[in-house]
Amino acid sequence: MAEVEDTLKRIQGINGVIGTIVVNAEGIPIKTTLDNSTTVQYAGLLHQLTMKARSTVRDIDPQNDLTFLRIRSKKHEIMVSTDKEYLLIVIQNPAE
Amino acid sequence: MSHTTVKQKRTALKVARSSKTLNVSSGVFRVNQSMTKTINPSFSGKSFSSGSDSKVLDKSLAQTPKHTVQVFDEHGQDITPHPLYNPDPGVLQPKQGKIFPAHEMSWTTMTDFPSVAFQTTNASFTGPFTRSFFGSASASRTSQTAESVTDETKDFIAKPDLSSSLTDVQTRREKVKEQVREDIMDRVVDCYLTETETIWLLDIPAVSVSVDSEDAEAVKERNNAYTELCKNRQGNDKYVERSMQTFNDAPKTKEVQSDSITMVDKAVMSTTWDMYDSFCNKSDVSENTVVSAEGNKATVPDSSSMSHLLNPSGTDQSMSVFSTTSTVSGSSTHLEKMTVLPVEEEPDLELILQSDKFKQDLAMMERVVLANIFQPKLAAYRQLPVIEDPDCVQTQMEEESWTEQTKNSLSPFLEHLWAFKCELTMGRNVSSMTWNKKNPDLLAVGYGQHEFKDQKPGLVCCWSLKNPTWPDRIFHCESGVTALDFSSCNANQLAVGMYDGTIAIYNVQTAEQTPITDSSDCANMHTCPVWQLRWVDHDTGLAGEEKGEMLISVSGDGRISKWIHYKGLECVDLMKLKSPNVTINRQQWNPKILSLAPGLCFDFHPNDSKIYLAGTEEGQIHKCSYSYNEQFLETYEAHTGPVYKVAWSPFCPDVFLSCSSDWTIYLWRQDLPKPVLGFSSGQKVVFDIMWSPHCATIFGVVREGNVEIWDLRVSSLDPTIVSLTSTGVNPTVLLFTPETDCVLVGDSEGHVTVYKLKNLPAGGSTQVETLEDVIWSTLSSQHTLGKTDGSA
Repeated sequence: MAEVEDTLKRIQGINGVIGTIVVNAEGIPIKTTLDNSTTVQYAGLLHQLTMKARSTVRDIDPQNDLTFLRIRSKKHEIMVSTDKEYLLIVIQNPAE
Repeated sequence: MSHTTVKQKRTALKVARSSKTLNVSSGVFRVNQSMTKTINPSFSGKSFSSGSDSKVLDKSLAQTPKHTVQVFDEHGQDITPHPLYNPDPGVLQPKQGKIFPAHEMSWTTMTDFPSVAFQTTNASFTGPFTRSFFGSASASRTSQTAESVTDETKDFIAKPDLSSSLTDVQTRREKVKEQVREDIMDRVVDCYLTETETIWLLDIPAVSVSVDSEDAEAVKERNNAYTELCKNRQGNDKYVERSMQTFNDAPKTKEVQSDSITMVDKAVMSTTWDMYDSFCNKSDVSENTVVSAEGNKATVPDSSSMSHLLNPSGTDQSMSVFSTTSTVSGSSTHLEKMTVLPVEEEPDLELILQSDKFKQDLAMMERVVLANIFQPKLAAYRQLPVIEDPDCVQTQMEEESWTEQTKNSLSPFLEHLWAFKCELTMGRNVSSMTWNKKNPDLLAVGYGQHEFKDQKPGLVCCWSLKNPTWPDRIFHCESGVTALDFSSCNANQLAVGMYDGTIAIYNVQTAEQTPITDSSDCANMHTCPVWQLRWVDHDTGLAGEEKGEMLISVSGDGRISKWIHYKGLECVDLMKLKSPNVTINRQQWNPKILSLAPGLCFDFHPNDSKIYLAGTEEGQIHKCSYSYNEQFLETYEAHTGPVYKVAWSPFCPDVFLSCSSDWTIYLWRQDLPKPVLGFSSGQKVVFDIMWSPHCATIFGVVREGNVEIWDLRVSSLDPTIVSLTSTGVNPTVLLFTPETDCVLVGDSEGHVTVYKLKNLPAGGSTQVETLEDVIWSTLSSQHTLGKTDGSA
């Protein structure tokens, strides 16, 4: 448990990382380093997108599953590590 | 009757062409219509007489009156366009006045009824025409009409001249005032309903039956029977014509109001994976009626209840059984889910955070995030083209450093890529580094002090190239780590040699802090720091000897030992590094007490694993054999200080390098007792040397305060690249990367810096010949020197 906390702290401490959010299976954020409104927004939107992406991947081959989703935008990069039970979201600004 | 009239009148019913017939029929029709319209109430219930009128009509058809054109619409109303010229009707009026009352009794009066009824100022225009017609008709058929018309029309018949004059009056418009006499009202008027070409009373379309069909015979029989019937019907008593009129009841509206039907939308999404999931979970669900603590299992019955709608295959029997269980379990789990969920919020978080998958994902995420940052460096490391991030704005500082480097782009230099460092390793001295044999991205670094003082618990970190900010594995050791080596056979085994002489073997697959084995229980363990460890693989095993890999260590107590991992670690001495004969006072003094010189380093020959070199603290280098542990094969003496490192050249089998704290590095050839070349640049202790694994003429040197790369093709007097480290920091260990052209330097601050060798002269081959040439030329020059010099 402490190891997990340490790792989360380390990730948050990496240069350029804006925030980390852990979301449960229903799309409710359970751990976050951002403010509430931003967290809720990210969690909701990314949950939906992940569902859609997973549906796409599994429609093509039901034995396959989505593991990682990366969205690169002009300003940030959003990385989502997906699982059946949770979503791990990290928002990074790679310019710094 | 209608049948006959239809026959006769069919031709008559053309629109306004044949005036005679049209007029007759139309007249009659009009009469009927007008009668029905205006006088209907009086006539209702009265039967129509048939016979006489029809006869009259038949006869009238024979006559052809003067041509008049009349247009009737479908109801028989006269819509004939009126003439624009209306001759003066006044002249004939009185005559007509007489006639008309007579006419009133005849059909014409009937025709005037509409005009009377409607009371139009203009006499109905049809009136004169029809009157004239009828006048003419009656004039021509005086005898005939006399029969049919009642006695009241006798006057009319008696005056044929008037009627003829009436015919001239066709075009005149006449106003007629009609007087409805009571007796006329009581008169029975016959109304005939006839069919026109566009209006039918009865329409049964004919049904055709093919002659070949089964019913053809029956149909033919029926047809024949019908024709017989028709023939027989005329005079048959069986058939009587009879008409009926039905009552049309008044309609009544009734309203009913109902509750609005509530509509519920229900949607089901079926996807390929949903079906697959349900199919896979089908066997689990039927057993799983009790909901487990985890809320997510409740979703499984939902999908399974859907699946019995969606599941394309499967036997029907099993499906019906399954569906009942699923719906039952679905409902029950649904209920339970509702109640359980609020309680589960807390454990949910914990469960997720503690799951192994989450840890793995976290680690991967960390690497991904770091890869974003370190991507250019890693790309340079792996000799991939460095792609610039188009969205990344380079800061000014970076640009400056870049321009600096580009200036020096021609001369060889060391490009700093990154450094492995973290807060754990701050301040620790890097004592040894080694690559994993199987995974070239995994680096093991040992931290421990070399000196006797400042001893603190050692640390072994396994760094991955993918995460330069935090090591993947951390092992805390009791005493300072002085030697490390990864095994080649079992790539997860890491042998660690420590300052107190202990050797431990760790399994790096897990993060367990305890080693697999420890030599601290061994009776024969080293009593002095283990300065070097090596896993050596013996390919050829002599009889009685063990094959496979074994751990060899050299320690400060002067022994080179072979360790066997049996139940614990057991060691067998390979060699005791005996101190050589010391000459004191020009006498060979053979000490009675056998003392051992501390061994600092050793290296096995790359081709022949029986031969190895050992360097001692006294400056000697011994060549020993594995199988012979009594005596050295050869001793090389040139150094005046402790030999810190010996290294066979990976390309030239006879050449090796040695470095020592006497500021020198010597290049030896195996067969020569004296070094071939000596390298020195400055008066600094040389801590570490290593041959480059790519090029035979390049080796790296780590001195106090700087890192040097020597290239013997370029110069044997000066290093090709000199890289100064920051003051106070001494680089202590040097390691070349086996696959790329980078070099790692560990220093006394705990940093392991990765440098890339830039602009070194490229060579296609490994330059073995070059090295040999260099040596040969040196030797030859030495020889010549020696000759001229004489023995000195």
